[in-house]
Amino acid sequence: MSKKLFNFKRKEGLQGYIFILPWLVGFAVFTAGPLLFSFGASFTNYNVTSQMDFVGIDNYKSLLMDDQLFWTSLYNTFYYVLFSVPLTTMGAILLSALLNQDVPGMRFFRTIYYLPAILSGVGVYLLWMQLLEPGTGMVNTVLSWFGIAGPNWLFDPNWTKPSLILMKLWSVGGSMLLYLASMQGVSKSLYEAAEMDGASRWKQFIHITIPMITPVIFFDIVTSLIGGFQIFQEAYVMSSNGDGGPVNSMLFYNLYMWKKAFETFDMGYAMAMSWILFIIVFIITIFNLKMAPRWVHYEGEEK
Amino acid sequence: MVKSKKLILLLLIALLTLSGCAGFKTKNTSEVEAEAGEKVVVDFWSFWGSEIRRPVIEKIVDDFNKSQDKIEVKHTFVPWGDIWTKELAAIAAGNPPDVVINENNGTALRGMKNQAMNLSKFLEKDDISDRFYPELWEATLYEEDSYGIPFNTDTRVLFYNKDAFEEVGLDPEKPPTTWAELEEYAEKLDQKNGNNYERMGFYPLFGIESDVWMLNANGSNFFDEDGSPVVHNDVNVETLNWIKSWKDKYGDNAVNAFKSQIDSQQGNPFFSGQLGMIVQTPTFYTQIRDYAPDLNFGVVELPEREEGSGHTSWGGGFVAEIPEGSNHAEEAWEFIKYLTDVEAQEYWAVKNFDNVANIEAAEKAAKSEEMPEKDQMVYQMAVENMENTLLTPVPTYAPDFMGLIKPEIDSILLGKKSAEQGLQDAQSAVEKLVEKNKK
Repeated sequence: MSKKLFNFKRKEGLQGYIFILPWLVGFAVFTAGPLLFSFGASFTNYNVTSQMDFVGIDNYKSLLMDDQLFWTSLYNTFYYVLFSVPLTTMGAILLSALLNQDVPGMRFFRTIYYLPAILSGVGVYLLWMQLLEPGTGMVNTVLSWFGIAGPNWLFDPNWTKPSLILMKLWSVGGSMLLYLASMQGVSKSLYEAAEMDGASRWKQFIHITIPMITPVIFFDIVTSLIGGFQIFQEAYVMSSNGDGGPVNSMLFYNLYMWKKAFETFDMGYAMAMSWILFIIVFIITIFNLKMAPRWVHYEGEEK
Repeated sequence: MVKSKKLILLLLIALLTLSGCAGFKTKNTSEVEAEAGEKVVVDFWSFWGSEIRRPVIEKIVDDFNKSQDKIEVKHTFVPWGDIWTKELAAIAAGNPPDVVINENNGTALRGMKNQAMNLSKFLEKDDISDRFYPELWEATLYEEDSYGIPFNTDTRVLFYNKDAFEEVGLDPEKPPTTWAELEEYAEKLDQKNGNNYERMGFYPLFGIESDVWMLNANGSNFFDEDGSPVVHNDVNVETLNWIKSWKDKYGDNAVNAFKSQIDSQQGNPFFSGQLGMIVQTPTFYTQIRDYAPDLNFGVVELPEREEGSGHTSWGGGFVAEIPEGSNHAEEAWEFIKYLTDVEAQEYWAVKNFDNVANIEAAEKAAKSEEMPEKDQMVYQMAVENMENTLLTPVPTYAPDFMGLIKPEIDSILLGKKSAEQGLQDAQSAVEKLVEKNKK
């Protein structure tokens, strides 16, 4: 039986591959192909049209050794990720905890807080540029009611990145939905047992809710870390001429890469940049995955 | 088994339907091409899609198509944010459009990189270089060869409010001609109520940026004739300190409040008389015409740093290029010749109130009967100002040098660095970039 070329199992496997063939081909042609090409071209002076000569590790060397803007952009990106990821995660958890209560009109509140998540793109950025206008914007107007002189937001290099983080916080609705769903899945019996033992609401939240939703927290952190490193549009739209804002304070990694690729046509150089970013994100993600078993709790998992 | 057969059948049907759709579509496009008959189709890309500009460029294309029976130009509007990245991708794919409107600062760079076609072979046959302002023509050259034909341009001029001048006892026919006068007049025009400015005389960074003032002060660009960067010099230090003194005088609050009104266009404080003078492109006049038709204003060249230093102004603009790899370069050239000839250029100039590259067309437009007197006055001024106007094409060996200067200027104006220090840092950063790229 086992000598037969196509036994049932193999046949089934083959059918499976045939079914996913379009995606396999798509991956090979549109993702893996360009990926390998960009790796190869990062060792050349490729500029799309006129040249592609091998230059060894020159691109990497000059990025790391002589390019001040490379370090500026890396610093800006790390700053953004370091603050925006924990803040948005905490914000989303807090918000979903609030929206998980039994209060009349909860559906209304859920809709309101989710609404920003369905608005996206350039429209939102333009809206925030108006809100953050130092003289006449809403944010500073409201602050002035409480006697606070608001900062110059997008015009002050110390405040540009906080401005973007604030904007991100406003749209935590998307991940809030994930947390809310997983909170609703936490068994009521756990809370009842804790209540009988005399645990306060806060203790219940810390010792029951949080551990039970760690898989979602983990997922959220990994994806928003990767997304955070790729920040581009915000800076491109919200700085004048997309040049990276005052004192290059919004010159994020991807914005600088884009400028190198499409404004000066140093495509090889930009490709080298993208591989450095890839390595950074890869290392962080591996680290995350290795750390996960220490704090992520899967129900029904055997220790 | 029966079930899976049914599924496969269903998939097949779906596949056939889908491919049917595709077939239908291809037939449609081939029909369009058949309509053009034996004519060569020239694919023309521009970013002029606005209500005002699109009909104008399409009329020009239409006129060209009707003027002969060999070439059919097909205009495609590609949005500003996409057009040049799409062009680059199309060139890389070997299937570019035949004519693309691109900005003139990078023409030489694209020539060097083989993105734009060398136009010398066409220019040898019919040299049209003397149609255009020399400054515009030179910006298209890389190693003596031209890679794009100038289409339009702009310049920066000073708009001032004549009524406000009169009100504070200034002669409305004698606008400021030097920086010192500019300061003196602005001081007179300022009107303060408590801590708020009811009227601001002038602020140098409304409408333009510091680099234009440095160009104005030096009468030259950031690179000397040998191509070495000149970022740090006494004049630039003086210029930035001068701009900083304005910033300190008015304070961030007043500047920000005015700036946000300017950005909102309709509420521009210049229209309401709350801003005495502003530097803008001549096209700014169309906004005055639309939003503040009764404003009594004058237009004049930029003041000079000191008497004799020159009223240098700054301009940009666009060129028509033939991307490398175009299959119909000959026909594309015919179209470009038409596009930059007097008739089309004058039409563009009058309809859009835009500075055009063709000298004869610009001068004709200034006298065009279609323009009311006020329009003519501003346009004439814009045409005359071309003499003072410098372009800043990026050097091919340091195309992104501004990225190094701008943050230093920001630091200086924010008071984080002295002008001396900041400009020195910028100078050495640009020198390093040039050295790296020339290597």
